Amino acid sequence: QDAATTDAATTEATTSEATLDPAEAADGSTEEAAPGAGAYTPMKPTPGKGMPVAGGIGFQDQYSEDGEFALWMHDSILLPLITAISLFVLGLLLWVVMKFRRGANPTPSKTTHNTLIEVVWTLVPVLILVAIAIPSITLLARQYEVPPKDAVTIKVTGYQWYWGYTYPDNGGFEVISNMLTEEEAAARGEPHQLAVDNRMVVPAGVPLRIQTTGADVIHSFAVPSLWFKIDAVPGRVNERLLVIDEPGVYYGQCSELCGARHAYMPITVEALPMAQYRAWVLAQGGSFGDEADSDEEVDAAPLQQPESAIEGAPGAGAPPVGTAATTA
Amino acid sequence: MATTADTFQAHSDDHAHDSHADHKPGFFARWFMSTNHKDIGTLYLIFAIIAGIVGGAISGVMRAELAEPGIQILDSVIPFVGVGPGNFDEALHHWNVLITAHGLIMVFFMVMPAMIGGFGNWFVPLMIGAPDMAFPRMNNISFWLTVAGFFSLLFSLFVPGGTGMGAGTGWTVYAPLSTSGSAGPAVDFAIFSLHLAGAGSILGATNFITTIFNMRAPGMTLHKMPLFVWSVLVTAFLLLLALPVLAAAITMLLTDRNFGTTFFDAAGGGDPVLYQHLFWFFGHPEVYIMILPGFGMISQIVATFSRKPVFGYLGMAYAMVAIGVVGFIVWAHHMYTVGLDVNTKMYFTAATMVIAVPTGVKIFSWVATMWGGSIEFKSPMVWAMGFIFLFTVGGVTGVVLANGGVDDALHDTYYVVAHFHYVLSMGAVFSLFAGFYYWFPKMSGRMHSELLAHLHFWGFFVGVNVIFFPQHFLGMQGMPRRYPDYAEAYAYWNEISTLGYMIMAASMLLFFANLVYAFTVGKKAAANYWGEGATTLEWTLPSPPPYHQFETLPVIEEHHDYHNHLPGSTAAAH
Amino acid sequence: MAGNVNHEYHILEPDIWPIVGAFAALTFTSGMVLFMHDMPSWPIVLGLGIMALIATFFAWFSNIVKEAQRGDHTPVVQLHMRYGMILFIASEVMFFVGWFWSFFDFALFPSEISEVIGGQFPPKAIEAVIDPFSLPLLNTLILLCSGTTVTWAHHSLIHGDREGLKKGLWLTILLGALFTSIQIYEYAHAPFAFGGNTYSSAFYMATGFHGFHVLIGTIFLIVCLFRTYRGHFTPKQHFGFEAAAWYWHFVDVVWLFLFVAVYVWGGWGAVTH
Ligand code: HEA
Ligand code: HEA
Ligand code: CUA
Ligand SMILES: [Cu+2]
Repeated sequence: QDAATTDAATTEATTSEATLDPAEAADGSTEEAAPGAGAYTPMKPTPGKGMPVAGGIGFQDQYSEDGEFALWMHDSILLPLITAISLFVLGLLLWVVMKFRRGANPTPSKTTHNTLIEVVWTLVPVLILVAIAIPSITLLARQYEVPPKDAVTIKVTGYQWYWGYTYPDNGGFEVISNMLTEEEAAARGEPHQLAVDNRMVVPAGVPLRIQTTGADVIHSFAVPSLWFKIDAVPGRVNERLLVIDEPGVYYGQCSELCGARHAYMPITVEALPMAQYRAWVLAQGGSFGDEADSDEEVDAAPLQQPESAIEGAPGAGAPPVGTAATTA
Repeated sequence: MATTADTFQAHSDDHAHDSHADHKPGFFARWFMSTNHKDIGTLYLIFAIIAGIVGGAISGVMRAELAEPGIQILDSVIPFVGVGPGNFDEALHHWNVLITAHGLIMVFFMVMPAMIGGFGNWFVPLMIGAPDMAFPRMNNISFWLTVAGFFSLLFSLFVPGGTGMGAGTGWTVYAPLSTSGSAGPAVDFAIFSLHLAGAGSILGATNFITTIFNMRAPGMTLHKMPLFVWSVLVTAFLLLLALPVLAAAITMLLTDRNFGTTFFDAAGGGDPVLYQHLFWFFGHPEVYIMILPGFGMISQIVATFSRKPVFGYLGMAYAMVAIGVVGFIVWAHHMYTVGLDVNTKMYFTAATMVIAVPTGVKIFSWVATMWGGSIEFKSPMVWAMGFIFLFTVGGVTGVVLANGGVDDALHDTYYVVAHFHYVLSMGAVFSLFAGFYYWFPKMSGRMHSELLAHLHFWGFFVGVNVIFFPQHFLGMQGMPRRYPDYAEAYAYWNEISTLGYMIMAASMLLFFANLVYAFTVGKKAAANYWGEGATTLEWTLPSPPPYHQFETLPVIEEHHDYHNHLPGSTAAAH
Repeated sequence: MAGNVNHEYHILEPDIWPIVGAFAALTFTSGMVLFMHDMPSWPIVLGLGIMALIATFFAWFSNIVKEAQRGDHTPVVQLHMRYGMILFIASEVMFFVGWFWSFFDFALFPSEISEVIGGQFPPKAIEAVIDPFSLPLLNTLILLCSGTTVTWAHHSLIHGDREGLKKGLWLTILLGALFTSIQIYEYAHAPFAFGGNTYSSAFYMATGFHGFHVLIGTIFLIVCLFRTYRGHFTPKQHFGFEAAAWYWHFVDVVWLFLFVAVYVWGGWGAVTH
């Protein structure tokens, strides 16, 4: 993965223009989409992309290189293998049912040992596991590649029960992301339970440095179509490299039990071509350059309180449960 | 025990002077003050069945809620626990309470009491030719501590636990959701529930280890011990070494919650991930605690109905030891997404996969035991064969999860839920039913209906597969676990899953009908109703065995080695 | 029990104390919950629980002693008890593993983010630690000494020297009491409070649980002393005493680890007090 430059990503911009839906802007519900409305219109999701499909029986399509590798590993190695092993055991069982029924075999044999076969059924699994371990370790090594210096940093903070996305490289503004109600989601043509008011907007095709932390309890930042899941733990900052192949809307959900509204703090990642991303940042009041020292920003305030939240919305930022009562 | 018939004969003659051994205390003394391993075993089994009904009913409420997207019944369940109609958050909190109660009840109050407390108590002394457990009085407090723990968990439902009534932390009780995230006494009651049940299990573990090491009948060497006894021995060691670490971890939760310590509180320098390490250092051995006695029962049953000694006896015994040992060094595979560094993740990936090898030895040895056998498909055997297949399915998905990089997409999704229900609700529960049908007439003296037992099997088999197989699909599609509500796309397979629950529930009615049948019109059970395949010592005793058995210890003769079917005999000298 | 028993195992009559003990434990833990949340009537529930627990322990062990005196404890039953005690101590070891695990986690990976820790151990908030080479060292010597006195008592017992047994026990108990008193003094004068940061959490809980075990061990030894005055124990059969001694040595060893790890290593470089 060569460190994708800004220019490289910008060239892709034109191709994905089509996926932006200007009609969205006219939609009434965007009034409250608060920061950055106007200069930017939320991208319309592509059906079946970056979201679960009805009745689906496999993984979601992958839009990151690591995801594609992992998906290949599952679909081409693990799944066939475990299917074969299960069917093999089932086959053996059916075979003995047929051959060694009391009716078919009235006198039992007395065999209780066979060193050769015992060695075989110990060694063959060992070999199979070693064979699995090779791609498995490769996958891990890839997932842990260190983000390059110029990667775009996004700090994800899990709150009870919404997400905050801070952009330390761009002035450190924070986007607060709440789940949309069923009506709002329908109005925007987005899947309920997955759609949010303010998305985590990122540039596509360039390395992202995703940092997660929890403000109150543990949450987990998970986006299935990117094969990405990393816990947001209070008192810790977890960091992982993410490169999203192409522009699009990718949905995810909080994946660590975090209290009552655990099911109501979805994640929407919108990957944009670099040019649009830059426009979005500027519309948020953000900036580019060296004003913000990312390192300091990262360590600063993992235990911070949210700046804003929409009262009363499902998944809106109520204060962490029971803080008042606990300290009482 | 050259032929079981001989010994059976011996014992029917024995009845006259066995009667003194059958002198039982009065009702209260017998059931509330018991020092008799069989009665305590019975108490454990009754308790486990009640807990199974409660835990199974809770999962029914859960499946009903999950039948379609949206929140349908959580609002209406809240009044049931005495809180009155609450707000939306309380309804959601109630989901967390349900899954927490379901997980804890099934693990600590159904499977463990049934396998170790129930079948372990009943059959370990019988199989090694001992008159009772080493510490009969302590045996009883183990049971009542389990009951006390259950009560503490029940209390927790009726007191505030943060957003609503009850403890909504999940069975893993992760901090800081369980500390600063759950005000009110509910979580404290839940924690103490684990303390109490855990203390009972630790005492039980010392009891079993001592009994097995010290009370084997003359000639019953470790390497002649039935595999069920081996399985309980290994399990007891896991309990003994794993539970105290859990006790320490949940004590830290208590002091963090109530006394201002900061073990898991980031503001005071504590680390929530530390709790997870401590929990899973217990928790992974715990999952083998829940399956090893099942392995033991399956070994007995497969051998009995194949009319063949267990294939590779020593390999089977030491495979369990290996699973137990390796089980202590793989715990962080439950924590792949907490932010482990890459080397740690690689290590745990490799170590976890190792367990597939001894487990495979067991699967293949069971098949080899049947191979060349003369198999009779009595009810315990069909459950055992169901076990072997479904446990394999659950086991191989475990191997998928073991790959840290792959688990990133599966962790905390329904794929994990599917995995562990295949090994638990099918593995552990199938072995429980197998053991139950195998030994029920021995314990009660009454035969159950084989027809009902087979129908129960088929209904249950179809039901649980329809419940849990689609959950793999949901998990791969990304549906997170511990969600009362979900996106429309997940509706289809959830509906199917709930449908499966109904099939399963219908089959459970047959199970209870069978109990009624056995106690009302069931035939009297002979000493060895399974015939010549059943060679362990419990079959030399009448059904039910006398109140005190083996008042004269049976002698397993030097050259007798029933695992290898060498000649020899076991005789109780009278 | 019934006649015709041809084995040496201990078959017991039904007994009420297990169920009483279990529900006493439930009453105690429930009382603790009420207490921790300052709910009404906690003193009654907690008090009742503690009393019932004490009554259970008292009755239970009295029964065991009676059975021992009656001769129920055949050699094989004594062997059971040896196994039981060793296994119980093994589980206790694992309990302390949990506390040490926390301690080392905090010491080796001090939080960078928490202000009270400041990435160091002992943490920033800890202005001074207890000087390991003053009272803790004294306590170490006291415990080591008590280990030898209990062995003296044991040897006296084996050689039929009842006076030596009494003296050894008395000394051990006094040393145990002295240890506990010093520990209480140390807590009262410690330069850091309970809780609030990882150091004091791990310190007080680990040493506190150790102190609790010292207390239990001391009570165990006191029971042995009483029994000695009553004429119990013979040079051949005295497992009650041996169990107390084992337990005492276990508590001793835990202390050595605490002393080396928590007091000496864990406070290294910090201002002492
Ligand atoms: C009875 C209980 C039980 C058993 C036996 C197992 C067995 C195994 N489990 Fe499972 N597991 C659970 C209960 C159990 N598990 C529970 C309850 C959870 C979730 C806890 C929670 O989060 O709430 C869990 C979660 C869990 C996870 C964490 C997932 C996550 O949260 O992201 C992982 C990851 O490694 C895992 C792996 C395994 C493996 C590798 C085995 C192995 O032991 C399986 C070995 C068996 C086989 C492989 C099949 C037979 C073998 C052969 C036929 C030989 C040939 C096979 C090969 C060569 C592959 N389990
Ligand atoms: C042994 C353990 C066990 C068993 C048997 C079951 C059985 C079932 N479980 Fe459960 N389950 C867990 C352990 C178990 N579960 C755990 C640990 C969790 C995680 C909790 C958490 O997230 O914290 C969980 C979570 C869980 C979820 C996910 C909830 C969520 O994440 O939001 C669901 C959803 O469908 C579910 C459903 C069911 C169903 C329908 C059954 C049905 O199969 C139930 C049918 C009933 C029985 C099979 C019991 C019959 C047995 C007896 C009556 C006793 C017999 C006794 C003798 C013969 C002696 N379970
Ligand atoms: Cu946040 Cu679950
Ligand atoms: Cu595990």
